[in-house]
Amino acid sequence: MSQVLRCTLLYSLGMGGALFLCLLLLPARLPGTTILGYAPNWLLIWLVGWSLRRPIPLAVGVGVCLGLLQDSFVLPPEAGIFPTHALGLGVSGGLTAMLQKQRYVQEDFISVALIVFAMVVICETLNALQRTFLGENLVQVWSAHQRIALSCAVLTSLWSPVLYFPLTQLRHWFYRSVHLVNKT
Amino acid sequence: MAQVGKGWWRYSWQISLICLGIYAAFLLRQGHSMLLGEIYAFLSRPFQGTISVQEYLRDAQVQGLEARIAELENQIAQLQSLLQLPPPSKPQAIWAPVIGRSADAWWQQLLIGRGREEGIQPGAVVEGQGGLVGRVTKVGEHSSQVLLISDMSSQVGVMVSRSRVMGILRGQNQNTGLVEFFVRDADVKAGDIVVTSPVSSLFPQGIPVGRVRSVDVNKQPAPEAIVEFLAPLGLLEYVRVLPS
Repeated sequence: MSQVLRCTLLYSLGMGGALFLCLLLLPARLPGTTILGYAPNWLLIWLVGWSLRRPIPLAVGVGVCLGLLQDSFVLPPEAGIFPTHALGLGVSGGLTAMLQKQRYVQEDFISVALIVFAMVVICETLNALQRTFLGENLVQVWSAHQRIALSCAVLTSLWSPVLYFPLTQLRHWFYRSVHLVNKT
Repeated sequence: MAQVGKGWWRYSWQISLICLGIYAAFLLRQGHSMLLGEIYAFLSRPFQGTISVQEYLRDAQVQGLEARIAELENQIAQLQSLLQLPPPSKPQAIWAPVIGRSADAWWQQLLIGRGREEGIQPGAVVEGQGGLVGRVTKVGEHSSQVLLISDMSSQVGVMVSRSRVMGILRGQNQNTGLVEFFVRDADVKAGDIVVTSPVSSLFPQGIPVGRVRSVDVNKQPAPEAIVEFLAPLGLLEYVRVLPS
C-alpha cells in the first residue's frame, strides 16, 4: 500500500509541477514561441492533457480553478467579475472530458493537437463574447478575436506535444505501477 | 483492483480538493494578488539583465539629441523664470527591466522587475524608448504589472502637438491606437506627432505618444485618426517608471 501512496505522491507532484511551470510560462515569451506577439496558452494544453478520460464535473472544476488563477495573474484591479478566464477554461475542460477519447479518437499527438486547436478557438470565442456583453466596441473585439484565436490556436496546438508527451508518460507510469502493486 | 465506491463518493477527496483550489484561486483573484507575478519575478531573476544607464544611452545620436533636449529645457526654464512661472518638478525616474508580457492574448501588459520596495506606486506612468508605454496597475514587492496604451481598455487624453487639437486615444490590441477628436473640424494630418494632453488626469502633460498614420475625416460625429505608437511596445527591454 505504501508503494501505491508513494506513486500517487510522485504522480501528483509531477502533475502539479507541470501545472506550476505552465502558469509561470504564461507571461514568458520564449524565442520561437510567438506569433504577432502572442504566446501559446500553456494552461490550456495542461488542462486538455489532464481532462482526457476524467469525469466531466471534475474537469470543469479544474478548468474554473485554472481560469481564476490566470485571472489573478492578468486582470487589473479595476476589472470586475467579468471578463474571466474561468468560463472559457471551464467549458474547455468539460468539453475535453466529454470527448471520451479512448472511444472516438486515437491516442496520438495529432488528435491531441486537434483537440487543443478546437479548445483554444472555443476559449477565445467565449472571451470575445464576454467582452461583447460588457459593451466593448464590436468591430475591435471581433477583429482582435480573429487574430488572437487563429494565432493562439496554431501556436498552442503546435507546442502541445512538448507538454502532452511527458504528461502521458507520467500517467502511463503511474497506472502501470499501481496496477503492478495491485496484482502482486 | 480495489473495490470502487458507489457514485460520486469515490471522487470525494478529488472534489473537495478542487473546491478548495477554486476557493484559493478566487481569493487570489479578488485580492488582486501579485503572488504569481512575484514568483515569476523571483524565478526569472537569474535571466534578468542589470540596468546600466550608460550602456542604454551609448548611441551617439541619442546622446546628441539628449544634449539638444537639455539645451531646450534650459531655455524653457529661463523663459519660465522670466515669466515668473513656478518651475515644473522633475521626479526621479526608476529604471525597470521588462521581465514578462501579458499572460493572456486579450490584455496588453508588461511585467516589470521593480515593485513597492523600489518605490513604485499604482498609477505610476511608464515611459520607454520613444515615448509613452502605459501605467502601473498592480504592484508587488519586487514586480509590477503595467497596462500598455495599446490595450483595448486603455484611454489616454492626447493632443496633436502642431495644432493643439485634443482627443482620446484608445488602444486596439496592436501597434496602433485610435484617436477620437472632440471637435468637428480637427486640424490633423498624417505625420503629426501626438503627445499626452495637459488636461489628462492619469498622465503628465507632453509625453510623446505616437505619430498620425491616417485620418478619417468622414467619421461621424468627429474625425478619427490612426496613430502609430512611437515606443516599440513589442520590443521593450527596459522602461522608465515616473513616480506618480
